[in-house]
Amino acid sequence: MTDQPMDLLRGTLDVLILRTLAWGPMHGYAVSRWIRDRTGGTLSIEDAPLYKALHRLEHDGAITAEWGTSENNRRARYYALTAQGRRALRAEEAAWRRYADAVFKVLEPA
Amino acid sequence: MRRLRFRLPWRRPGQIGHDVDDELRFHLESRAAELVAAGLPPEGARAQAEREFGDVGDARAYMNAVDRDAERRRRRRDYMDDLKQDIAYAFRMLRSAPAFTAAALVTLALGIGANTAIFSVVNGVLLKPLPFPEPDRLVRLWLANPKTGERRSMVSAVDVDDWRDQRQAFADIGGYFYMDGLSGSDLTGSGDPERVSIAYFSPGFFATMGVAPLAGRPPRDDEAVRGGHDHVVTLSYGFWQRRFGGSRSVIDSTITLGSEPYQVIGVMPAGFSFPDPRAEAWVPYSSIPDASIPRLRQVATMVVVGRLKPGLTAAQGLADLDVITARLAQQYPQSNASWGAGALVPLQESITGAVSGSLYVLLAAVAFLMLMACVNVASLLLARATAREREIAVRMAMGAGRGRIVRQLVTESLVLAVLGGAVGVVLARAGLSGLLDMTAGQVPRVNEVRLDWQVLAFAVALSLATGVLFGLVPALRATTGRLHESIRAGGRGSVGGRSRLRTALVVTQVALATVLVVGAGLMTKSFVRLLDVDAGFDPGQRVAVMFTINTTRHPRYQQLYRDVIDKVRTVPGVIEAAAVRDAPFRGAGENWSFAPPGWIDAPGKRLPAADVNFISDGYLHTIGARMVAGREFGHDELLDSSAVPVVVNEALARRWLPAGRAVGSELRIGAGRARVIGVVADIHQTALEKPPEPAIYVDNMMQSRVKTTVIARVTGDPMAAARAIRAAIWSLDRDMPISDIFTLDRAMSDAAARPRLLTVLLGAFGVLGLVLGAVGIYGVLAFLVSRRRREIGVRLALGAAPGSVNRMIVGRGLALASGGIGIGVVAALALGQFMQGVLYGVTPRDPATLAGVVAVLAAAAWFASWLPARRASRVDPAVALRAE
Repeated sequence: MTDQPMDLLRGTLDVLILRTLAWGPMHGYAVSRWIRDRTGGTLSIEDAPLYKALHRLEHDGAITAEWGTSENNRRARYYALTAQGRRALRAEEAAWRRYADAVFKVLEPA
Repeated sequence: MRRLRFRLPWRRPGQIGHDVDDELRFHLESRAAELVAAGLPPEGARAQAEREFGDVGDARAYMNAVDRDAERRRRRRDYMDDLKQDIAYAFRMLRSAPAFTAAALVTLALGIGANTAIFSVVNGVLLKPLPFPEPDRLVRLWLANPKTGERRSMVSAVDVDDWRDQRQAFADIGGYFYMDGLSGSDLTGSGDPERVSIAYFSPGFFATMGVAPLAGRPPRDDEAVRGGHDHVVTLSYGFWQRRFGGSRSVIDSTITLGSEPYQVIGVMPAGFSFPDPRAEAWVPYSSIPDASIPRLRQVATMVVVGRLKPGLTAAQGLADLDVITARLAQQYPQSNASWGAGALVPLQESITGAVSGSLYVLLAAVAFLMLMACVNVASLLLARATAREREIAVRMAMGAGRGRIVRQLVTESLVLAVLGGAVGVVLARAGLSGLLDMTAGQVPRVNEVRLDWQVLAFAVALSLATGVLFGLVPALRATTGRLHESIRAGGRGSVGGRSRLRTALVVTQVALATVLVVGAGLMTKSFVRLLDVDAGFDPGQRVAVMFTINTTRHPRYQQLYRDVIDKVRTVPGVIEAAAVRDAPFRGAGENWSFAPPGWIDAPGKRLPAADVNFISDGYLHTIGARMVAGREFGHDELLDSSAVPVVVNEALARRWLPAGRAVGSELRIGAGRARVIGVVADIHQTALEKPPEPAIYVDNMMQSRVKTTVIARVTGDPMAAARAIRAAIWSLDRDMPISDIFTLDRAMSDAAARPRLLTVLLGAFGVLGLVLGAVGIYGVLAFLVSRRRREIGVRLALGAAPGSVNRMIVGRGLALASGGIGIGVVAALALGQFMQGVLYGVTPRDPATLAGVVAVLAAAAWFASWLPARRASRVDPAVALRAE
């Protein structure tokens, strides 16, 4: 591994967002922080694609959005997983694990 | 149990943009604040946050676009959800009020059904283009003679060919000669002998129509001229199927028509029925021998059709015809002087023009009926809205928007209308076949009438339009903001405005009913007038048997003729019998020119014409015609060497013979002379509504035709006698083709079939309108009585006589009705001119009819008011006062 942050694989961002929101409703900034903290800066995630993905997922019905009040008493847009989003997350997670297993099997010497 | 979905309020595009900006700002400021807390200076923190974010502008644009699309989809989904919910709710409401639902459905189904059936006829007959390629280029061409005032005259076969040769504005021109029951020939050879109905055409006819044969080939130009191989025949699809079983091998075979061999060259497709659906074959006009119809410019027998060149107008066509006819008039002054271009009539109009008036009158009547049905359902809905006032008020109080409730109420009406429409289409299907049976032979193009997608689209559109029409006003009414009163009054308050609206609806309904009943009344009176027309003969107990004599097998056919009449006279049950070429209403005879006494020839002056019929001795007496002067032919009419004896009708005598000296005067017919031996009162040969044309009767022992009708006055069952007569004819020649057997009663009733049809339909619409109008008045008064029960109870308790209460209610009903009747009469007077064309012997403003209609409607209104009034006068004051 190098110190350079890795580029994100296609579709990865959606899984990460859905996984994050599985913990509970949060606003965009919180989602951004959460992913940044969890990956420890390994993945280079800009906020612009993150917000695009949030709105696309909302459009597709995986998440819903609602205005609420943030920790610092400001108006913030809160995203929450829908039943459809939860189903999508389960499917994507399973696919990811299979994918990762396959890659590891190749990378690790037998 | 339904789960109610939580629904977000809808966002406008501006609101979406605003929300996106807010969200982005929140993110950037939150991040900047965090960085400041970690020790960065504010400007640096802000820049760092934006750097981490990436392309803010791109993200903003993307978020806006995605959100807007999501919003659109959400709206659509919400709308569909509402609709589903509304429809389910509507069905529940309709089920919960079965009496209302049934009444509304029956009304709508009748209205939509009647409209759909009539519309399908109008569509098939008037609106659909003719089944020829580019039918709007097809026109009929007529001659006119300004000197004699003839405006639409037929054309001689010689002239038609000249027109075709000299045409400039027309792609092609062709003529045809077809007369129902007259133009035809006997088919003999294999199979039963039969009379084939033939249309004779000139070169250019098929090219003008532009329809290719289904099998075989169209006739070539050189086959339709004198001297060419003109013994070719093209079969109609129906005749081909019936006679030849649809076998292709008939093409190029030879059949025998009128004892001469004809080569079958083609079969036309099933849809081609020009000039008449009854035409079974097309044969070149040139094959008609001069002995039958001389080929002269004076003999105008053809109707001409032309196909305008693409892009040319009828006016340009007429100009072309003007040039041609002027040239011919100059070239052939003897025959063509003062004959010019008459008219160019679009073919569609000329085919359907005669019935379009009747059909549009029907369509208008049925549209009125539909309006009445709408008004009726609207007042039913209004009455129901009163009952549902509380429900609606509660829903509005709970926050349902007015638009939402109106939408739901209109959905209810639409569901009702669509259900009514579905039942209506089923009714229309059933009604249409009955209607077509009634119109058979009366209306052109009836064979093209179908309940097709255009008609179904019409029915659907009509249903939806009526749904909105009758549903919207009551829905808007029901939701006007009188929330508090409604709830407080327990659903009994605030009826003032609504009852005004109901009053208006009832007045409208009575007015519509008045118009319908006036239409029915006028038509009935016109029909009665028509039946009162003296046909000139007595149709009772007269039977007719039509046959054609085969002159090949009976060269001395006059003898056969004589034998047939003598034989029929001996048939038991036959009182008297005679023969005629064309029985009344089965043809007008042949059109001959004649010179009345004192006639002087002049160029361009055409001889008057008369319908010539060939009759046997005793014919006029047999049919019960009345001799005005002289006598009819005797059994052995002595042939005066100088002149042929003829009988003429009054129309001819009045116009052309010296008054009082008609008998004995002489006419010139062709080269021969004829002496009038008797004058008979006019006999209607064609239509009852048209005055009879001048007619000449010739003794068929001197000159006769192969087409013959034996008419007998009989006792007992006419049809049984007819069978005995047929047997008598066959006993003389088993192969005699008998083409028709009918009673003169039926011939007469066929003649009145179209007016009868219109009378029956308009009468039915009138009765329906009357019933709907009466029900409307009844409904309003019943409602009034139930609302004023308490007041009536008080009146009665204070000593009012039940009679006065009765009078009060009836008075109210008659007041409503008189308003409606007044408006209706004014409307009927204004609309009357549209009926002018279908009326006979009665003006559209006939005062007696109008007075009668007013009386009938007033009586209906009185009856409709009397029922609720009786109920009101029987109110028990004690019960009424305790009720609330």
